[in-house]
Amino acid sequence: MSDVASSRGALWALRAFFVGLVLFLYLPLAVLVIFSFNSGDVTFPLEHFTTQWYRLAVRNPALLSALSRSAIVAIVASTITVVIGVLASYALVRRSFWGKPAFAALVFSPLVIPYLVFGISLLVLFTAFDRFLTVTMGTYIGLGLHSVAIGHVVVALPYTILTITPLLERLSIALEEAAHDLGASAWDTFWRVTFPLLYPALLSAFLIALTLSFDEYAIASFLAGSSPTWPVFLFAQLRVASQLPQLVAVSAVILLVSILLVVIAELGRRASERKYEGSIS
Amino acid sequence: MVAVEPGSRRVTAGLLATPLLWLTLFFLIPVGFIAAYSIGAIHVLPTDPKVISFEDWHHFLIGDSIYLGLFWKSVRVSLVVSISVVLLAYPVGYFLALCVKKRKYVLLLVIIAPFLTSYLLRVLAWKVILGNRGVINSLLFDLHIRSPGDPVSWLIYSQFAVMLVLVYVWVPFVALPIFVGLDSLDRSLLEAAGDLGANRWRTFLRVTLPLSLPGAVAGFIFVFVPTIGEFVTPQLVGGTNGFLFGNAINDRFTKALDWQSGSVMAFFLLAVVALLMALFGRFAQVRNVRT
Repeated sequence: MSDVASSRGALWALRAFFVGLVLFLYLPLAVLVIFSFNSGDVTFPLEHFTTQWYRLAVRNPALLSALSRSAIVAIVASTITVVIGVLASYALVRRSFWGKPAFAALVFSPLVIPYLVFGISLLVLFTAFDRFLTVTMGTYIGLGLHSVAIGHVVVALPYTILTITPLLERLSIALEEAAHDLGASAWDTFWRVTFPLLYPALLSAFLIALTLSFDEYAIASFLAGSSPTWPVFLFAQLRVASQLPQLVAVSAVILLVSILLVVIAELGRRASERKYEGSIS
Repeated sequence: MVAVEPGSRRVTAGLLATPLLWLTLFFLIPVGFIAAYSIGAIHVLPTDPKVISFEDWHHFLIGDSIYLGLFWKSVRVSLVVSISVVLLAYPVGYFLALCVKKRKYVLLLVIIAPFLTSYLLRVLAWKVILGNRGVINSLLFDLHIRSPGDPVSWLIYSQFAVMLVLVYVWVPFVALPIFVGLDSLDRSLLEAAGDLGANRWRTFLRVTLPLSLPGAVAGFIFVFVPTIGEFVTPQLVGGTNGFLFGNAINDRFTKALDWQSGSVMAFFLLAVVALLMALFGRFAQVRNVRT
């Protein structure tokens, strides 16, 4: 195979480079998985095969509660994100209104804000609000999972909108017009016509938000307070050498689950695209 | 695009209300708070000075503060990382877009998939590999190349380690815009250049490369913007040599509890990123949402 883009020699060089980069990307992850089944420290030479780290991990209460906190935050944040994302996508694709470019810039700007700065901003906001509550009413809310979830909604929102708008754009407006002409209200049209067709895209957007939130460290590190989410817990425990094999074991499981979720999200996106091909007039 | 029901401004307002409210309360106002905090217009901690002053700004920008120097160090590290990432990702994007006929999207997914796994996990992998008793060093001990008392110590807790890990983390992400740019290239242009007597190298330099530059610039921005505020990777593998501007900001808020000067640095960083996006943002559009 030699053509305009590459000579035979260049093709082999590019092929070798590709294989080299794949190895560079996957070997470190493979190392983690291998050591999660190794008895003894995370060093060579390997000792013998064991599943003790997995067994220890499922009996570690601090680790399990960190995982469940992250699961709660991720589910709550992704649900809110998808709801807000649908509203914003619908406005961007189906409506014309004054200030639309500014609205688009606003919803997409969390894509480029450094998470460090955003986490700090919310820390200042919540602390200031608590101070206000203390002074006026003698009470306060404090930091915690709610503040982490609020932050995650903001940063996940643009990804949700980027997932929903392409499909909404391709979904024929004639279907909604027909429903309207037949006497359906805007609400009915959404629930009976748009939502069923949009459902796979929503699932895909939900999963993207879910993985983003579950893995997010920078924002959570400022806002979690005394209830560490999984990444915050993981970061704190990395300094304890004896904990490392357990953490590696749990991380290996999360690695597999997140790859699985990504594949499901991708399949969902493709399914929804196929569904559209059928519904576009 | 035309509204489905003309004149239904209430529906539009209803759609916009929640997103606008959420982003105003939890995005615009907090960022405004940082700006206000940096000049002492608001104060939260008991130790904050209760007067409005630009002293911290003055000290940061003009005074002999070490932090501006740290900022430039972060810029240098981010530049090296972003350029390395683009150089590594470009051949892969080129190979997949122009040389592979079958299964190119599957191969692209193979490259991108690591990006979708946990960030901390990928940094952790390198900590395990580069450590003084890590994979590389223990392998060297095992093969009797180095003695256990004398590990290769620059592998970890160094600027090198920070840059290596950041390159590792970002390569998969940047392969995407470069691939998209090259994949949408009209191949008949390359054939035309060949028919007109240009060899492959000349065709690449005069046709392919210029046309693929927007994708490469987008990739560069996608790496440069997040790494300039990076503070997690240096904490894990950077040691004292790898300490960056982001770590200084983090320390102001979590250790020194000097939120006012921390806000100065945080807002400065935000302003730099905003400026970069204003200059180069048009390259970085993931896709054009019709507005």
